[in-house]
Amino acid sequence: MTIYRSEDHFIVQAHHISKTFPGVKALSDVSFILREGEIHCIVGENGAGKSTFIKILTGSLRPDSGELVIHGKSYKSLTPYLSQSLGIQVIYQENILVPQMTVAENVFVGRERLNHFGLIDYKETIRLTQTIIDSLKINLDPETPVEKLSPSGQQFVKIVKSLAYEPRILIMDEPTAMFNVKDVEMVLNLVKDISRRGISVIYISHRLEEISEIADRITVFKDGQVVATHENPGKDFDLSVLIREMVGRSVEAFYKKDRNTIGEVVFEVKNLRLHHHSPEINFTLKKGEILGIAGLVGSGRTEMIRALFGMDPKISGEVWYRGKRITIHSPQDSIQAGIGLITEDRHKTGLALNLSVIKNTTIAGLDQYPGPILNLTTEKTDVEQFIQELDIKTPSPYQEVRFLSGGNQQKVVLARWLFKDVDILIFDEPTIGIDVNSKNEIYKLMTELAQKGKSIIMISSELPELIALSDRVIVVKNGRIITELDDDEITEENIISYAFGVTDDGQSEE
Amino acid sequence: MMDNPKSDGQLKKKTAGLPAFLRNQTFFLLIVIVLLSIVFGSINPRFLTWRNLLAVFQQITVLGIATMAMALLLISGGIDLSIGSMIGLSSVVICTLIMRGSNVGLAIFIGFGIPVFCGFINGVIVSKSKCVPLIVTLGMNYVYYGLALVISQGLFLSMKGNFQFLGRGRVFGVPMPMIIVIVMVFATHFLLTYTKYGRRLVAMGGNEQLAYLSGINVDRLKIMNYTLSGAIIGLASLVLVSRLGNVLANAGEGYELRTLAAAIIGGVTFEGGRGTIAGTFLGVILLGIVQNGLNILNVSSYFQTLAVGIIIVVAVVVSNLEKIRNR
Repeated sequence: MTIYRSEDHFIVQAHHISKTFPGVKALSDVSFILREGEIHCIVGENGAGKSTFIKILTGSLRPDSGELVIHGKSYKSLTPYLSQSLGIQVIYQENILVPQMTVAENVFVGRERLNHFGLIDYKETIRLTQTIIDSLKINLDPETPVEKLSPSGQQFVKIVKSLAYEPRILIMDEPTAMFNVKDVEMVLNLVKDISRRGISVIYISHRLEEISEIADRITVFKDGQVVATHENPGKDFDLSVLIREMVGRSVEAFYKKDRNTIGEVVFEVKNLRLHHHSPEINFTLKKGEILGIAGLVGSGRTEMIRALFGMDPKISGEVWYRGKRITIHSPQDSIQAGIGLITEDRHKTGLALNLSVIKNTTIAGLDQYPGPILNLTTEKTDVEQFIQELDIKTPSPYQEVRFLSGGNQQKVVLARWLFKDVDILIFDEPTIGIDVNSKNEIYKLMTELAQKGKSIIMISSELPELIALSDRVIVVKNGRIITELDDDEITEENIISYAFGVTDDGQSEE
Repeated sequence: MMDNPKSDGQLKKKTAGLPAFLRNQTFFLLIVIVLLSIVFGSINPRFLTWRNLLAVFQQITVLGIATMAMALLLISGGIDLSIGSMIGLSSVVICTLIMRGSNVGLAIFIGFGIPVFCGFINGVIVSKSKCVPLIVTLGMNYVYYGLALVISQGLFLSMKGNFQFLGRGRVFGVPMPMIIVIVMVFATHFLLTYTKYGRRLVAMGGNEQLAYLSGINVDRLKIMNYTLSGAIIGLASLVLVSRLGNVLANAGEGYELRTLAAAIIGGVTFEGGRGTIAGTFLGVILLGIVQNGLNILNVSSYFQTLAVGIIIVVAVVVSNLEKIRNR
């Protein structure tokens, strides 16, 4: 690591931090320096130690050894209170807002502005919130209840809230994960703006493109250690360097799929309407095909799939499967027909985290076994086969899935549908929150499934993923299928311009 | 997971702490029970006599059976706070029918059927209204208790000496209630571990959304499970009236909380998806031993209530220790 001339501008210095969890060395001799007003990006695979390091800075974890020097003062460990009073603020991925309260109330929750009667001063609360909103040049009404805001609106509230603490150090954990392309740009500008005010920003993201755009420095974590720090990377920085450092070997910049032969149409959606006034949705899916569904967050992609899978009611429409019309009123119906859904939110809807790999794998396909009684030995053997096939890294099939990494958890979800032996798989954001290496493994599995004759529908916000994997892409906007792209038409420019409505494909609005 | 040979030694030292078998709540509970028995026995040797231990077992039979119902509900993510009233209502109806000269067999059949029906109603309300089962069944607790009061008019009712076999009979010298509770423990364990039905219950308790998206008809499963629990309560109720011979409307009072306590002590959680029947039954035994032991030591029943309270809180805290330690 570089030696600096002066230590004056070092806000945070972490020296030789180590932290061990039962069975895992989470951090090993990590040293890290944060300078005043810089945007310091941290990258690394899931499990590389980023989150653990952040939790040590926020005081929610105590390091086993090492020293933290913050504003020139040395600490063995922090507490959440101490961390806050040192001016450290974190914006987490998860929602930490109270949905029923307004934006302003959320911003000052726990530190309510009081009038001289000791009651909450709403006017002042709103005024102060408005000031912060104005300074960020974003569009947000302090009096709107948070639950009425879009997901990206809620993300902005989190940023406003953290700034209300007047932090010296702002830690952002995947702040753009919830945003669509347009808002991402806005968030990145916000981050730059914040750092210009002299606030030091630690920025964690899996999206390498945005990191190269904003980073003053990039530190790469791997297996609990800092493997490299890059000074002033700039826009032309070679991202494959980062990827190489993160995974310890050079991965192809992006996964390349082998094209396979695509069969006849197996699945057809005709005139599907979700609401009385919504447009009709028509599309087909062929045997061995990967059909990508592109669209901005909020474009109606997920709603379409929910209705198809039977989670939400639909007004009208027909679903045809292998030449027969099928009726789907519940997930049960679609699963029986041979459709499996891999949801976007593994933790909320994809897994029972406290249950074992075995139980999570067989739950949808218990009826593969005859009779009401389970043969646990057979079940274990079956699941072990999937563990091996999908290369799920788990110490035992009895391990609770919450102890697995994101990538391995996703493989367990996938194993569930392979065990159930469905023919159509719907992936909603197949690699969300998964590290680079596991992503490639998931892509490989998806490709193999298609080669074996399964049909895949994939909703994704990650364009490289859509482009690399899809045989065909349909672009959704405002609940309507705007266009269908084949082969060479599947390009980043095409998808973006359709998704934003720049290219209208000749259709007029209703 | 992470291959780092240099840090290996350090790693082992750090993870040592408690050996794995001690972190297992069921095993921990077993040790507590043995230690408590030794303490009670050394203060008053009468505690550790075969006769007394048999009496402990006898005392916990109704609780043991009813706790199986509570465990099934908790593990599936539900709860039923009306089981005490269900027992009361069923007992009262049986006695009323018998006192009015009805056929004993028919009275027993109806008495068993009532909790089954109550459970079914609870299940329907919980699953269809999507309300919190805690509140729904708390309300139903009053409904069933009210019905029992109306039917009994608050009077002591008698079985008139009928139907003693289930509560007082013996088979090969073994008391019937003991046989029933042991059979129920094994049956419930089998149901939860080795059947598709049980597996689906566990999954629903672990994550209801997941269960729904995996094609499980969660509403139907809930109704079935509440009904089944009602049947288990029906059995508990039959054992109770058979043993007591005469009852008041509040015959089952307190069972809703004591079954809950036993299950929680045994490692079942409020959130669902966790816990074993073995642990649950040890929880029942612990409650029985504490009550009997304190009786033998001549501790007033007021203190016993206090002791049970402390045990519950300690059990919950102990089962949560792992989370705290991971900080």
